[in-house]
Amino acid sequence: MTTENSTSAETSTIDQTTADLLVVGAATPPGRFDAVLTNLAEAFPVESVVVAAQDQLAAHAPANLRIISAPQSSVAWMLKPADFVNAYEIGREQQVRAILMLGSEAHSLKPQALRELADAPLSRSIDLAIPHYTLPPHAGLINSAILYPLTRALFATRTRLPLTIDLGLSMRMAERLASVGKRFAAANQVDSLLWPVNEATVAGFAVDEVEVGTRDVPQPSDADINPILALVTGSLFADIEAKAAFWQRPRRLPPARRQLAETARADGTADLPRMVEAFRLANSNLQEIWSLVLPPNSLLALKRISVLDAAVFRMPDNLWARIIFDFVIAYRLRTINRGHLLGALIPLYLAWVASHLNVTASGTSSERHIEAVSAAFEADKPYLVARWRWPDRFGS
Amino acid sequence: MQNLIASTSQTSRLALASPAYIDDSSIWHHISDALHQSLYRVLTLLIAVLPGILAFFVALAIFTLCGMLISWLLRRCLSWIKFDLRLARMSGDGWAPASPPTEIVARASFWICVLLGLIIGVSAFDASYATGIALPISLLPYVTHAVGAVFLLIAGILIARFLARSVLISGVNAQLQYARFLSLGVKWLVLVLTAAMVLDHLEVGGKIVELAFGILFGGIVLTLALAVGLGSRDLVSRSLESHVERAGERGPVAQNAPSSSEQIRHF
Repeated sequence: MTTENSTSAETSTIDQTTADLLVVGAATPPGRFDAVLTNLAEAFPVESVVVAAQDQLAAHAPANLRIISAPQSSVAWMLKPADFVNAYEIGREQQVRAILMLGSEAHSLKPQALRELADAPLSRSIDLAIPHYTLPPHAGLINSAILYPLTRALFATRTRLPLTIDLGLSMRMAERLASVGKRFAAANQVDSLLWPVNEATVAGFAVDEVEVGTRDVPQPSDADINPILALVTGSLFADIEAKAAFWQRPRRLPPARRQLAETARADGTADLPRMVEAFRLANSNLQEIWSLVLPPNSLLALKRISVLDAAVFRMPDNLWARIIFDFVIAYRLRTINRGHLLGALIPLYLAWVASHLNVTASGTSSERHIEAVSAAFEADKPYLVARWRWPDRFGS
Repeated sequence: MQNLIASTSQTSRLALASPAYIDDSSIWHHISDALHQSLYRVLTLLIAVLPGILAFFVALAIFTLCGMLISWLLRRCLSWIKFDLRLARMSGDGWAPASPPTEIVARASFWICVLLGLIIGVSAFDASYATGIALPISLLPYVTHAVGAVFLLIAGILIARFLARSVLISGVNAQLQYARFLSLGVKWLVLVLTAAMVLDHLEVGGKIVELAFGILFGGIVLTLALAVGLGSRDLVSRSLESHVERAGERGPVAQNAPSSSEQIRHF
């Protein structure tokens, strides 16, 4: 820390008009923001880096970073459309070559991780660098159950975390995301989610995944699963609907470059009976609603697994893939109210989680099971395409 | 009428002249006259109403044809200017109706024309009806009320179904064992309310409906209150306790404190 830089946010420590990289961080408490700055200074010792921060947070900046004033950023657990718009506007003003967007709790990212994320757009002509975190065994289950398999099957990308809070962006990628963000803002959908991987894939931009190690992933303030699942899945379903012309064409999935991580075994079976019980309750009460969405074969399969004991409860991967595809179709067709539809998905998701916990408890690696689920989604993609084009065919 | 009076007086005179003899042909003649006069009155009424009915159907047909024409023109024009694409660009991904916007606009224009035709047709019918022979019943206002009642009934059924599903899904996701009963209760409360409103709108039953509805609704609410207050006291306290316990389990998850359930993180 240098004393010359402690006067104002507007005071720059390096007299530069242009920079290589713009770092845009989410609103962070002062102590943690200092840690982020220290990590950035260590990661980029010679590059010209501009850090966009709020006035009150820019008191102690390392010498090799230029701090500029930035608009209020979101403090949420996920990046908002306005964050992308602001990042691009500042990046254009500063004439940077790349943008590094960091979410909440970014102080837990190591300097090497920051460097890797920024290097992808700066040195390797990558338009979108997505981090791959080393998460605890039973973390990010919505991502593992729905977001990753669905994105992989439809957009032919192996990005493990399609909805992430840290991003390395080229300027053209930032521009594209900003234009999407502006559309959301114009439609007064300020809390919507953006899907950078889907946008990059549709635009034909280069996407790469970067190993960043461990990170404290910010959690939603509301611990209730219901609104989070509805928000995230609803947003992804809407994005899939908007990009239907793209994903209906067959695409080859790029070969895997990463070894499957052997995550440590963890006991997550404490909540298992409660989840299975929630599914059973739903199975006996929501038949009227599920029958509007799911074909008879799926309903029969659900009925069969509902009688299984919690300890041996399993949901077949192909059944789960079929259920999600049918819900995507129902979302598109508005078979029932969309809020009701996503609400009716929650017990099924809990059933999948219970099944996943049992599978991992039996010795199968969590990542291996998620890969198997994703493969089931890929194998069943023709069903989704067929029903998307001819929705009336409610066959098996 | 004069014929009838004349024939009646003639019959009276004949009856006075020969009280012991009744002519059958004369009675049949009187009945036939009466029937003819009734038929004449009905036909006169129909003739008075027919122009109104004809005007109604002509107006409806003309406006339906206009609607079809306008709808076709709109569909062509909007397709030509790529209205769907422009609207999608403007509104983003948020507004995604089941049908394309062009189709919605075209259909809306058609049905607006049909509705306009109905209104004008009814007005024409009303005008010709008013100038015709006055009927003892006020048919038209009652038809209007009946249409309003049908709309009320449809709206009530839709709202009841929506609320019932909302309650059912929320109840199941909150793991309430009695979610279905709760959902059925809400559904029937709304349906009973709708039925009362429809009957009131049709002016059927008068005070009886209001009174019956008040008793029924009040009874249901009182029953629920007593059930929760007395019968389900233990159930409610157990439910609240489990809710507090679950909230207690969730608390440390948000604060990163270790626990058995903390190892599961949905996001």
